[in-house]
Amino acid sequence: MIGIALGGIGVCAPGMADWQEARTLLRSPEPQPSDRFPKVAPSWLPAIERRRANTTSRLAVAAAMQAVRDVPLAEVARMPTVFSSADGDGEVLTTMLVALAQPKVALSPTLFHNSVFNAPPGYWGLAAQSNASSTAVSAGDASFAAGLREVHAQIIATHAPVLYIACDVTRSIVFRDASTAPAPFACALRLLPADAAQPAGGRRLDGWSVDMNEDVANAERIELPRAFAGNPSAMALRLLSAVANEKAAVIRLPYLDNSWLTIRYFP
Amino acid sequence: MAGAGRAARTRDGAMKPLPITASTMTNACGVGTTDVRSALIRGESGLTRNDFEPAAVLDTWIGRVRQIDTVGVASEYALYDCRNNRLAQLALEQDDFPVAVEAAVQRYGRDRIGVFVGTSTSGILATELAFRAGSLNVCGASKSLPSDLYRYRHSMMATTEFVRSYLGLAGVALTISTACTSSAKVFGAAARAIAAGQCMAAVVGGVDSLALSTLFGFHSLSLLSRHACRPFAVDRDGISIGEAAGFALLDPSGESDVRVVGVGESSDAYHMSSPHPDGAGAAGAMRAALHDAQLAAADIDYVNLHGTASRANDISEDRALVDVFGTKTPVSSTKGATGHTLGAAGVTEALIAVLALREQWMPGTTNCARVDPELASAVLLLPHSQRLIRVMTNSFGFGGTNCSLVLEGGR
Repeated sequence: MIGIALGGIGVCAPGMADWQEARTLLRSPEPQPSDRFPKVAPSWLPAIERRRANTTSRLAVAAAMQAVRDVPLAEVARMPTVFSSADGDGEVLTTMLVALAQPKVALSPTLFHNSVFNAPPGYWGLAAQSNASSTAVSAGDASFAAGLREVHAQIIATHAPVLYIACDVTRSIVFRDASTAPAPFACALRLLPADAAQPAGGRRLDGWSVDMNEDVANAERIELPRAFAGNPSAMALRLLSAVANEKAAVIRLPYLDNSWLTIRYFP
Repeated sequence: MAGAGRAARTRDGAMKPLPITASTMTNACGVGTTDVRSALIRGESGLTRNDFEPAAVLDTWIGRVRQIDTVGVASEYALYDCRNNRLAQLALEQDDFPVAVEAAVQRYGRDRIGVFVGTSTSGILATELAFRAGSLNVCGASKSLPSDLYRYRHSMMATTEFVRSYLGLAGVALTISTACTSSAKVFGAAARAIAAGQCMAAVVGGVDSLALSTLFGFHSLSLLSRHACRPFAVDRDGISIGEAAGFALLDPSGESDVRVVGVGESSDAYHMSSPHPDGAGAAGAMRAALHDAQLAAADIDYVNLHGTASRANDISEDRALVDVFGTKTPVSSTKGATGHTLGAAGVTEALIAVLALREQWMPGTTNCARVDPELASAVLLLPHSQRLIRVMTNSFGFGGTNCSLVLEGGR
């Protein structure tokens, strides 16, 4: 099975405005991110779209920009995108549901197109001026792992880099009790065939398997910072923690039917 | 014809053909493939004046599947009972589809068959109606919805999970939600998962049901027709929203007279809810599908259009078609019959293309009396018999997403 290399990384979440901040935080023994919402700057978006874009899209674009920072723009524009999310944008959804519950319904066109699940990759396409393929996938609490499997399959099929974006803004009365809702989280990973990676052999993901057994040998017991517990996209922090600490690790990501997608990470 | 000469040639670098070994579809034209086929052959439309939920007071036409108004899902799936999952179940009950899936289970094992479902609505109507019933408002966050509602009916994974459970499958699964290309793109995701060894075979499908958000949402964009929609017609004035479910079993080692041989995906990078005026992204998807199949445009005998009947969409698609195919390839849109079934449109029209290949006829463009003279494509108004070897079907959607599929018939 082909190995996958990890190129660029982007993060955008409260207390983690970018990957640099996230890395510093994840290196601390007990990461406690502040709840300060980052000043999100999806500057690649045309001004009019920046004003229209919903939170999920702004976080996703900001994270994606970081992940492709070192890549020539022409190459970014050719890079396929996979977006994953369990719940999409809870803020937009709630606003829309409230509008639909009024005696006289009036939706704004912008609210409607922002409510579409693939709005974040759509905005990313505008930001990156990309005509490459772009998909948006969901699998409940297994969404991050399911999206990663789709990326893996794409890289096997095309032998070319893929930009993976995961984002959940779950602060919504629809999904769960708003008072305990986890913080929003977005990350972006530039993933590529391992043999195309520079420097050779660095930051590799390998040994993909789905396991029913929770006690995978040597698996890292990486707990998410409490603010993000329950945010399906924040499962990425298990991988990012190993990357930040530059150590080999067995990463377990929740998958379907109480199983785990198990990946080995080599720094 | 150019296509015939290519049939036996090995196509180096082409996608491995993926046989469709079973399929089923349900929409406003009928419940099950036989009923849908009859309506299309007779040129009948399943569209009716909007009489959906009293809350949806809009002067438009809809493609409604009335059989799901009253019949719930099987009792063991009560948690999942909502319009979208009822529609999924109604479709799954037709055409002996579960029998074919069970045979694949016997062959490969239930954990080796993937499930890839496209939807844009999932069961959002259930939450919309709960909000309208006043069980929740934005100030009263403590009055929460029934805890299972979101998880089992409304969430993006709800229908995929229901389908997977109903068919007794336990392999790789995901939902694709890319607006109106959702259930076209499932064919690509399934093909890749099979090629990557994540599964041995796959159930792909799409399920989208009528909802207040889509009706009022398209209304807000002034895209709803006040008539039964008239794709590519000179007097077209917008879309008619429909609901539908369709499923296909893709088995790389199975036998079938129809195979998926190319999938092409692209993005417009133009606008969130308007297509590129010259159809550049759409043309990109069609070319990508041809490239994936290692075919030339002349190898395609018929194109089932996205053809929504919105003014801008049809112009954009027409320009893309002229760019890729010229003006001779026969094309038609079946949305005047089914309505625009959004997240289920891709699979619905792929399965109409399967019918076309299997029986050697092309559907007409229901409700289109006179083709817009500004559109240059060879639009079929009525069903027409012709030798077909390979056909393409197009799906385009919000966020500038495009997906074209190439299907091939014969043994």
